[in-house]
Amino acid sequence: MGATGFQPGRIGVLVLLTILALGGFALGDPGILSGPNLYSMAVFSVEIGIIAFGQTLVICGGDGGIDLSVGAIGALAQVLLGLAITAGLPWPLAVAICVAAGAGMGMINGACVTRLDIPPIITTLATMFVFSGLALVLTGGINIDLTTASAAFLFLGQGAIAGLPFQLVALYLPALLILIAVQHRAGFGRALYLVGTSTTAARLTGLRPNRIRARTYAIAGLMAGIAGAIGAARLGTASPEALGQANLISIAIVVLGGSSIFGGDGSVVGTMVATVLIGVVNYGLSYMNFNPVYQAGVMGLILIGAVLIDNAISGRGLSALPFRMTRSTG
Amino acid sequence: MTAPTDTPPHGSGRDPEHDAAHGPAQGPTRNPARDAIPPAPTPPDPAAPDPAAPDTKALAAGARGNRLAAFAGAREGVLAITLVVVLVGITLGSHGDFWSHVNINNLLVRIAITAIPAIGMTLVILTGGIDVSIGSMLGLVAAVGGLLFQAGWSVWAVAPVFVLLGAGFGLVNAAIILGGRVPPVVATLGTLSIFRMAVFLVLGSNWITMIPPELTTLFITSRLWVLPVATVVALVLMILFALFLRGFRTGRHIYAIGNNAEAARLAGIKVRRLELYTYVLLGAFTGIAALLTLGQSPLVQNSTGTGFELGVIAAVVLGGTELSGGKGTILGTALGTIIVELIKDGVVLMHIQPFWGGVLLGGIILVSIGANRRFPGKAAGTKGAGG
Repeated sequence: MGATGFQPGRIGVLVLLTILALGGFALGDPGILSGPNLYSMAVFSVEIGIIAFGQTLVICGGDGGIDLSVGAIGALAQVLLGLAITAGLPWPLAVAICVAAGAGMGMINGACVTRLDIPPIITTLATMFVFSGLALVLTGGINIDLTTASAAFLFLGQGAIAGLPFQLVALYLPALLILIAVQHRAGFGRALYLVGTSTTAARLTGLRPNRIRARTYAIAGLMAGIAGAIGAARLGTASPEALGQANLISIAIVVLGGSSIFGGDGSVVGTMVATVLIGVVNYGLSYMNFNPVYQAGVMGLILIGAVLIDNAISGRGLSALPFRMTRSTG
Repeated sequence: MTAPTDTPPHGSGRDPEHDAAHGPAQGPTRNPARDAIPPAPTPPDPAAPDPAAPDTKALAAGARGNRLAAFAGAREGVLAITLVVVLVGITLGSHGDFWSHVNINNLLVRIAITAIPAIGMTLVILTGGIDVSIGSMLGLVAAVGGLLFQAGWSVWAVAPVFVLLGAGFGLVNAAIILGGRVPPVVATLGTLSIFRMAVFLVLGSNWITMIPPELTTLFITSRLWVLPVATVVALVLMILFALFLRGFRTGRHIYAIGNNAEAARLAGIKVRRLELYTYVLLGAFTGIAALLTLGQSPLVQNSTGTGFELGVIAAVVLGGTELSGGKGTILGTALGTIIVELIKDGVVLMHIQPFWGGVLLGGIILVSIGANRRFPGKAAGTKGAGG
């Protein structure tokens, strides 16, 4: 069943879980419900939320579509931004370089997957190491300090509009609206659902599945570039190790948000709601001073748990070969 | 998209019929009654067993079989040439340091440590699966084993524990993937971080350095013929599994699953059980790798094994095993392993920034598979027509 788009039932469950998670953390320490903490939660969630949007589209494209390199793309893009600013370029140009580099890296992924026909897992696993390796090479493994950069640049990640984080109001929400329009109203979105549901059917309809899939990787790279820029502005630092767990967390968010890991189903709206839940859990864990490794472990548990529960509820996967990601389904 | 009808007559005409000729040789390994099952439950049925597929398309199969054979030969040829080029490059780049006794010994051990799990990974990928969690798994096995060493257990008592622990963690992956029908990448990406969390739970921020020196003398410094024992172990396992995949019925079944799991199931192959065995085997081999790792450098910390999976996957994929399953050899994996370890070694020897290691490895995977997909002609790249 493809193209169901909004799933009110799932969204209700996610909201309920979010409230439960918040309540649970509040039992441990009521301070977490304070205004500044909720504000920080929003700030922290924006970057991974933007990355999860791109991941949603990639996974929606089906045929094993997945992007493990999103975090590395964000880190390398961020490093390029840092180098551009330290080289004295004006910050808007540096941000443009960052975002364009992200999109370019996404296009490399797309080309490898669709033109060279390398499976997405291998492509993005390899580019993950290439991109994060390059980020380390360019910086020598050292963070680039940007705290002295223009205040207008730092505003991207630290500013507020009407009491809400700038990046939430001016970047995340517009991105959400645009993607809702793209996914549910524009031809591209409909085509993507069909491609994700059945490559053959899409091709017979006259679509070009590979071209559409390639675009999803480019968008994912673009989103990662934007997230990289926001992160650099938020911390006043460009780090080659930024967004370390972004691949795991974004995939967990997408799956929680109701996208089928097999493609052809899901919505950025579900992704948005799941981002809130994951944002709360992640923030709560670091608020409680858990080591980031435990946060990652919890994300792993949530990821597997979400797919398991999905399979149990939907009965999906009872047909032939559900556990082969590469190639055969569809 | 490789439709089921596309079942390639894999491996240059080595279809199950061909295997039947080998029947007597492998009779003892599997109970004959079960071997006889395939034809029985599925009467002559065009949709069914693997053997039927090549027959019905004998014409295409012949032509394509030859091309595949030539191509496979070319693949290993390309790998051998790459190997020589890398070797010459490193020899020149390191001003001959590469050939020092110490370096060659270390390299041989490192090749063994990657090669042993790479055998298991080859089987997993041949069935169409993948396991990206083995780096954390290696760390977890090493951590638990390290605690046992610390508690005074002897090498002989702990060694089996390493293997069993690894097999157990492999079973966890298999249970999630097969029992829960979670796609392999997603499941093992999850367990990658879960196992790592477990390492932290076990170790905290402590290091374990009380590894008995006998471990090192036993596997690393003592030799059989000219090779370190670890390397001999790897070599023996490689030969055994190469033979197993080539000549044994169960080995051929693994290829059949990767080519078309549904057809394999209809042919009476216990698809899920075999897939489970491959994950458990990979886990057990990762346990062996953990043991050898401690022999090579007697230290466990909470980052032990991080990134290990990439080298193993790179070796397998570089060796020509296709992620879509059904195609690949142990020989290819062996060559891939040597190339991967040579590159890692070269980065160190040539005093290049260590960060280049990941870049080179990732780049080589992409170039190698990309070239492989681009040039074999239409037979292997049918999917490329989509865009």
